Amino acid sequence: MSLSWAWLFLLLATFPWLLGVDLLSDAMAASGVCLFVSGAAIIAPCRRLRRWQAVLFSACVGFLFESLRPIPDGSLALLLVFIAIYLTSHRDEIRDMPKMFGAAVVVNALGCSAWFIAAGLAHTADVPLLSLHFLGQWLLHLLLATILAVLLLVPLTLVQNFAMDRVGVPQPDEAV
Amino acid sequence: MDNNRQGAKASYVALVFFIGLWLILPSAVRRFNREAFAEFQAPALHLVGKGRDLARYWELKSRSPEELVAASRDLARINAALELKLHSLDDARKENIRLREMLRYPQSTEFVTVVARVSIRETSSWWQRIVIRKGRSDGIRPGCPVVFGDRVIGRVSTVHLTTSEVDLVTSPGFRCTAFLEGDDQYHVVHVSGRAGLSLSAPRAVVSIIPLEYNPPAGQIAKVMTTGLGGVFPSGLTLGTLEAGVQSTAEKHMQTGALTPAKELNFIQEVSVLIPKYPTAGEILLTPAGKPEEFR
Amino acid sequence: MKDVDGQNPSAPSDPISAWRLRAIFLLFSAGFIYVAVGLGYRQLIQNDALNDQSENQSRRVVIRPPSRGKIFDRNGYVLVDNRVRWSVKADLLALQPEFRKEYLDLLNKEKARFPDRRPDYDQLQQTARLNVLNAWLTKIWFVIDSTNQKAAKGSAKVKSTPNLHPEERMVHPDALRKHLNERRALKFPLILDLAFPNSGHAVTPEEGNRAVARFIEQFPVHGPITLEADMVRSYPNGKLAAHVLGYVRDSDILKGQLDDVVESEFVNFQKLGYTGKKGADGIEATYNEVLSGRSGWELWTKTSSGYNKDLLKFSAPIQGANVALSLDTKIQKAAEEALAKIVDSQGKPLPAAAVMLDVNTGEILALASQPSFDPNEMADRVTQIYFDQVNADGGWLNRATQGLYAPGSTFKLITATAGLRANKIDWDDILDCGPSYMVGGRAFPEHDPVGYGQVDLEKMLAVSCNVWNYQVGLRTGPESLAKEARRFGLDAPLLRKPSEHDNHSTTELPNPATRMVIPDRAYKQRVAGEPWTDGDTANTSIGQGYLLTTPLHMACLIASIARGETRTTPSIIHDPGRDGRHAGAEPIGLTTPQLNALREGMVRCVEEGTAKIVRIPGLPYAAKTGTSEYFKKGEKAHLAWIVGYAPADNPVVAFCVLVEGQLDTSTWGGKTAGPVARDMILSWRSAADEK
Repeated sequence: MSLSWAWLFLLLATFPWLLGVDLLSDAMAASGVCLFVSGAAIIAPCRRLRRWQAVLFSACVGFLFESLRPIPDGSLALLLVFIAIYLTSHRDEIRDMPKMFGAAVVVNALGCSAWFIAAGLAHTADVPLLSLHFLGQWLLHLLLATILAVLLLVPLTLVQNFAMDRVGVPQPDEAV
Repeated sequence: MDNNRQGAKASYVALVFFIGLWLILPSAVRRFNREAFAEFQAPALHLVGKGRDLARYWELKSRSPEELVAASRDLARINAALELKLHSLDDARKENIRLREMLRYPQSTEFVTVVARVSIRETSSWWQRIVIRKGRSDGIRPGCPVVFGDRVIGRVSTVHLTTSEVDLVTSPGFRCTAFLEGDDQYHVVHVSGRAGLSLSAPRAVVSIIPLEYNPPAGQIAKVMTTGLGGVFPSGLTLGTLEAGVQSTAEKHMQTGALTPAKELNFIQEVSVLIPKYPTAGEILLTPAGKPEEFR
Repeated sequence: MKDVDGQNPSAPSDPISAWRLRAIFLLFSAGFIYVAVGLGYRQLIQNDALNDQSENQSRRVVIRPPSRGKIFDRNGYVLVDNRVRWSVKADLLALQPEFRKEYLDLLNKEKARFPDRRPDYDQLQQTARLNVLNAWLTKIWFVIDSTNQKAAKGSAKVKSTPNLHPEERMVHPDALRKHLNERRALKFPLILDLAFPNSGHAVTPEEGNRAVARFIEQFPVHGPITLEADMVRSYPNGKLAAHVLGYVRDSDILKGQLDDVVESEFVNFQKLGYTGKKGADGIEATYNEVLSGRSGWELWTKTSSGYNKDLLKFSAPIQGANVALSLDTKIQKAAEEALAKIVDSQGKPLPAAAVMLDVNTGEILALASQPSFDPNEMADRVTQIYFDQVNADGGWLNRATQGLYAPGSTFKLITATAGLRANKIDWDDILDCGPSYMVGGRAFPEHDPVGYGQVDLEKMLAVSCNVWNYQVGLRTGPESLAKEARRFGLDAPLLRKPSEHDNHSTTELPNPATRMVIPDRAYKQRVAGEPWTDGDTANTSIGQGYLLTTPLHMACLIASIARGETRTTPSIIHDPGRDGRHAGAEPIGLTTPQLNALREGMVRCVEEGTAKIVRIPGLPYAAKTGTSEYFKKGEKAHLAWIVGYAPADNPVVAFCVLVEGQLDTSTWGGKTAGPVARDMILSWRSAADEK
């Protein structure tokens, strides 16, 4: 497979994880929480992919999350693209595992907030965004996003690294 | 590294430029983008659903023959009872049509029923929806009512080629009119989904209940569709009115919480009622639809 | 300073230019100091005031009128209610982008058409707004009107809403302009009342509900078009007791209904009110203060172009208090239905009034006036056509409390009482009554051409003998007659509120008649400039001549006689604690046989006399009929009266019915007014039996 299609190959490898988390949300549907891992999923690719590939990958991850949910178009995808650009130009921020954990938590929390607030803005007619009740909801979602990022980062990275190795994406500079 | 940062600056500029472009892009492009990603996921969602069916199949296969015999005997009984009912219903329907024609009363909305399996549930504070495994190719259109038996589940909000998203009764995008059981005056009340608390059962709100309405003593009042709006057939159960109806701040109407009819979170299969003729609201939502043409 | 060109090195310092420089420097310094001091003053000293001012300019208080209290009858039956009104409104702020787009389109078209003319920008903007709103309105109507069966090969015909002239379904340019000038901040009502979408065209409740349901279920939930529900006045019984209940009209002045927060905290803020309602007639007007409630408010931030942006805080309006009337809906209904049966030769209902009182408490059980009006027509959708139509029929007048009429033969009760009290006659005295009686050289006729012969008090009341009254009236004299009538309060103003209530209206119903007339010598001298004659006395004694009073006064008179007193204070407000004492009441001043004869005469009136036609078997009651003459368009017509009480032995209710006969109708007390009285009594009886 050509190296320029690495991002798509990586997306296919990542998709089962995203779907898995959606199924987990499904299992928890009665509780009314939406689990989110799309932010953590872009960390490992941002270490190794070239910038344009990372950008494409992040955009697709974002759009996948948005496509089945009533969120304003692009609100999550464009944020992930921005983060991808940042991470690919500051690769030292995700050089080693502890730093990757930190980044995964921050990025996942940011992504989670982005969809939560964007969805809230799209529904202001129904529920006031600035209420204590929804602040609580937001914090709950943030907490779950953080925990999920920590739990799933290692398996996600392993799978994604394996995929990248298969396509022949070079190792990150730091590891060389 | 410096080179890398330089490139990053260009990328940021490009991103800003793209965001600007994204905002002024015709909505059709954005819709296409969304649709493309939904279709990308559709096979996986189908697979998930099929997988569930398979799991159920193996679960049933593992049952003992005695259990299956008992179940089949029960089913046969139910079948016989239903067939009898069906027969009398047929008579009633014919009588109904005859009377309507006599009174020159408009025919009630006719529906084509499509049965669909649920493939995945999507819930959060902001929405309550399910994805079903039937779509445009099965004739489903946005706005169609979705029911289970005589109980309302929700309404189709988005349709893809082979899947559709259904806004549940508890979703903030859902609203319809209803009658309350025990209200002889048939006041029209308003039912709308309300974003619920996490970690608690989703709810909908029944508003504009007249002050003089009292739920029938000692029993839970059913909330039923009116059939007046041209979308839902009349007499379907939306749910039950929870006890503790409250007057609004102005003390001239009451508001209550609605417990949805079916345990929305465990439902496996639904029926989509597709109106034979498109409703006015549907025509309005079609981008090409110009109301004047339909007058 | 240095010379640039070096042409003039011999003048190192030109004194004039140095002076100029200094002057300029000083001028600039002064200017700078002025600016600096000014700035400092503004920043440091005026800061708070300016802050407040900017806050005042960027915020606005919207006043929300409360819904009015309900009105019940004595049994708790709802007479005036509030109903939910669903209105479709457009959020003008959210529509701004659409306005802008349409405006630019129009501008381009205009420029293309007339390249050398300056376009009228204001007009274009207005047109753009109208176009956008009308496009939305078309969509709304489309959703409400069309049925799903349109496409079906219809065997059954689809019943559609009345096909209105398209103009009625458009936004009225003036309405939009007015809204933008006065209430830009509030949402613009596209359809004010979904259940009655076409003003002036009645739709059935089912059709109304259908329109609401179709909009709710089919119109997109999100967007600039919203659905709001509020309460409006509704009169579930239509015309029933319309004159008592009254109606409401729009009012922008909600003073006295604002709470202290609005008055004090928001004193300098711009305030904007939704249109509220105030009572315009009947109880709605006289008890407006009680029914009104208290307005709520909302504090909004506003945009520079004057639209409302964010809601900061709010306080909900408080509904007004309820009022319980003394009316009994069943009796009221019976009275109105009976009145409606009295028609002229063209089948048009005659002007008439009916009153029924509780004898002991004076509470009014029924008060009807015909012709009437439907307060629902006035509640929300006032049309000049309807107003004028009611006006032409004379429907606004409450004939029971405001109509002044000659009481006719019903006044003979007063003549008899006056004669008895003045000892000019006794209850068993018999007078010889021929076919007429000569007074001052003129023959005053009996209404029976052969006369009644030997007549005593009882027979007089039963047959309504005129000659008996001429004789007794002349014996008693005009001053005594007038005094007796005044003693019974026939010219006393009625329906005064107890003092604690009179903030705004001093009466329980609006403008009860005050110009009743009980004539005496001084009155005739004043009005006609002529001396009183015996003929005047004879006329007065049979309730003709100058006498004027209202049906309510006559009902009170009969209630007083039923109790053996002189005064009855009527009231339209239900108060279970009434003790049956009446202001100014004193014993009637007759001996027991006299009073018995008076009452027995009235019973005989029903059993064998002028009201025989409306006697109720098994329910004896007392009545006195009257048929007086009045001039309508210069010609004589008749007023039909009947007054009385029931049951005869233990009076509970007193009644009075009056019908204004027309020139071409034959109107007689017993025959015309009697059936109304009978129906009221029967309905009172059945209501009492039910309890």
